[in-house]
Amino acid sequence: MDNSIWATYSPTLLRWILLGGITLGAMVLLNRLLTALGIRRETATGFSLVLPWVLGFSIFSLYPFIYSLYLSFTEYNIFQPPRWIGLANYITMFTADRSFWPSLRLTLFYSALNVPLGLAGALGVALLLNRSVRGIGVWRTIYYLPAVLPVAAVALLWRWMFSPSSGLINFVLQPIYRLLNVEPLAWFTDPDLVMPAYVIMGMWGVFGANAVILLAGLKNIPKHLYEAADIDGAGTMQKFSNITIPMLSSALFYNLVTGVIASLQIFTQAFFITIPNRAGQFINVRIYQEAFTFRHMGYASALAWFLLLLILLLTLFIFRSSSLWVFYETERK
Amino acid sequence: MATTARQLSTVPLGENVRFQRALGSVITYVLLALFSLLVLVPFAFMISTSLKLESQLFSWPIQWIPNPVAWQNYLNAFRELNNIAPGLTFGRIIANTLFITLLAMVAELVAVTLVAYGFSRFRFPGRDVLFIVMLSTMMLPGIITLIPTFLIWRTLGLIDTYDPLVMAAWLGGGAWAVFLLRQFYLTIPRDFEEAALIDGANTFQIYFFIMLPLIKPALLALGVLIFQANWNNFMTPLIYLNTTIKFPIVVALKFFQESLSKEAPKWHYMMAMSAVMSAPILLLFFLAQRYFIEGLTVGGVKG
Repeated sequence: MDNSIWATYSPTLLRWILLGGITLGAMVLLNRLLTALGIRRETATGFSLVLPWVLGFSIFSLYPFIYSLYLSFTEYNIFQPPRWIGLANYITMFTADRSFWPSLRLTLFYSALNVPLGLAGALGVALLLNRSVRGIGVWRTIYYLPAVLPVAAVALLWRWMFSPSSGLINFVLQPIYRLLNVEPLAWFTDPDLVMPAYVIMGMWGVFGANAVILLAGLKNIPKHLYEAADIDGAGTMQKFSNITIPMLSSALFYNLVTGVIASLQIFTQAFFITIPNRAGQFINVRIYQEAFTFRHMGYASALAWFLLLLILLLTLFIFRSSSLWVFYETERK
Repeated sequence: MATTARQLSTVPLGENVRFQRALGSVITYVLLALFSLLVLVPFAFMISTSLKLESQLFSWPIQWIPNPVAWQNYLNAFRELNNIAPGLTFGRIIANTLFITLLAMVAELVAVTLVAYGFSRFRFPGRDVLFIVMLSTMMLPGIITLIPTFLIWRTLGLIDTYDPLVMAAWLGGGAWAVFLLRQFYLTIPRDFEEAALIDGANTFQIYFFIMLPLIKPALLALGVLIFQANWNNFMTPLIYLNTTIKFPIVVALKFFQESLSKEAPKWHYMMAMSAVMSAPILLLFFLAQRYFIEGLTVGGVKG
């Protein structure tokens, strides 16, 4: 097989140019067609402009969405056509699949620790940065750094850092181990410690970036609120809980929702850091394995639908609870 | 106003408050420095490891500046990878990664500027419903559409080509990208377009000669973020590419890691490759930081 660069790239490149041309051509054609049909010019142009998204949505979101729901009720190994088995996949998931509950536990615990801790840490750093410190640009750059790194590089780096025999973490902790007279912790290779280690790695990745986002939110809080509180003799804690938190709550809310959605879908890290069997496996990785390692497309789809429902449920819960703690300025009466 | 309020509260307490303020800012800087150490030390560890000889990897206490500095690790790591995956040279890996990243980026930028223009500037029936549908796709876990999408590409006979990684970008791209650009379009006054319309410009001319130049900062921000997302993307190339010679750098790194024995993980090579993988993104970040941060804060604060 010819594996030269040109032989590998040119077919894709040609199809890529072709598809781009077809997409743009289809937009122009649709515009002409709608105008010819006597539809208002603005409507015709608007429809034509969003056409690529409508096509992309139908082919790569809507159809796969419905088809995967169908697949979740079938047994399908790609080579034979899907066979309808009703709810069997879901029953297997909750009763027979011994790796399901551990994986759910691992994923949920990871999110439950990673997201709130990450947000609290981010809020702390953002508050520090907001104290009119010098060289804000430099601090911001440093804190933001981990978030731009490839996840794979971060995972490998932390696996090395947490290496039981020679990693940096155990080196730093060595005096403590000696003081308590205990064995060095095994971190990623210890089923009980793998999750905390993941949480620490996850926090390193996100909290700086979240801090920068929250800082932008803090800068948006009008100064006069604090000045008025000063005149009324409010203390630091009072100002924090009565001005800062309410004014920041919509940014916190946004970070909470996106954080939960992202952390439930943790994936890449698990490929670079093997998790001990006894600790389970993240749900997203389980779905990948079922689908692409064992070719259980039906069962994998059922797991994916479970994950979707889990995300929807949690998001709904956060949204519902938001009326209790999120403050929107426009609501003010 | 600000000064009077502050003066009011300082007058009765005097020296004591000034001391507290000074102490407060010392504590602030100490904490900020501690946090930045938490960020920078792992980094330094990555670079330091990548420049060590294998025999120095496990020496305690840790040598931060290796002696000698093993620059050759950067060559040898990729040479070793090339030995287990013939044809997959350093140049080839970078070419593969750039090929995927640039094709996907260009297509997505073109599609997204058009779609966001449509959503922000034209009234048509069903627009708001479509927009909400688009926003809600952001919540959809990627894995749920992955299996049927894989089956589509399989039916088309395009598994183990770059098509699944770059084609979908023509069709609207990511919802957050459209959302971000729409926010920018909405800040442009309508007068510009109206003036152009009176001068006889058509929609395409307005889009190309008026709107695009005006949203250039947003386009840069988006370009940078899309480049980063594609460069770092692991899941889809892992699923669609089988031939080692086609691997982008992330998958090549995974392949290399798998080939190493558990007893002798070559951390100096792995860290060298991780550093190479991170370098373009870091460079981009330093050059275009403002855009990175702007792009990400738009959703977080205004959204």
